[in-house]
Amino acid sequence: MSLLYSLARLLDRISPARIAYAHCDIPCGIYDPHHAQLAAHTVVRMVDLINQLEKPGPNATAEQRQEYTNKLARYIATKEQHSEIAKSELRILWADYFKPDHLKTFPELHDTMWKALKTASKARQEINLQAAEDLLKATNDIASMFWKTKGLETITTKAPYPTERQTVYPKFK
Amino acid sequence: MFPFRRFRVQDESMRPTLEPGDYVLVNRWAYRFQSPKPGDLVVVRDPETLDRFLVKRVSDAAGPSQVHLAGDNQPLSRDSRAFGPVSIDRIVGKVWIRLKR
Repeated sequence: MSLLYSLARLLDRISPARIAYAHCDIPCGIYDPHHAQLAAHTVVRMVDLINQLEKPGPNATAEQRQEYTNKLARYIATKEQHSEIAKSELRILWADYFKPDHLKTFPELHDTMWKALKTASKARQEINLQAAEDLLKATNDIASMFWKTKGLETITTKAPYPTERQTVYPKFK
Repeated sequence: MFPFRRFRVQDESMRPTLEPGDYVLVNRWAYRFQSPKPGDLVVVRDPETLDRFLVKRVSDAAGPSQVHLAGDNQPLSRDSRAFGPVSIDRIVGKVWIRLKR
């Protein structure tokens, strides 16, 4: 970042610059909360797998330790990646899809989103089943708001994945 | 009237020249004694939305007091192809300095 840019940033705090739009015809209008829900399921699954993983005892062989470390590393890497996907997908919904009008119907939207992102960070940082479950619940709450803005009812049912957690789906007519 | 005005760029139609978050300093006196030339980067009042500014490139003169505007990121840009020629008096000024993030 250049010095002049930093100066402009500073100046922006004192007196904000007007926005000049390099206006696009895309917003594409294609949004779906399912990506965020799916990523949250993956995070839950990874925490489950990590917790089920048998820890090598004091007499474990080098091979057993290596196998344990390999599996743990892979679960953690996937958990990292998918909590980040959840965050990215939530940010897109928050910043690009939801409009000020939606706040009238869902005044809790900002708070829910903000907390969901914080929870996703926690789920990423820790091996914390509660945080992973909270993230999934938050993505479900956001999904039900999303589908209501589309005029669709939702159903909450067990997901057909190994996580088998409650998930919000739209009820297409 | 102060000759310079700051703007912050939003949206992507001027990529790669301008990225979202970049700042531009606009010279409001640039067209006092000369007309906009093809290739100039300009900030204009949006012909379609009240009280909003656009940053675009002048593609060609559309007449004595009108210009056509285009975005550098052609496939995405909403510009004169959509809203037609723009009157010169809607031009705020010429981009004088670009501050990349």
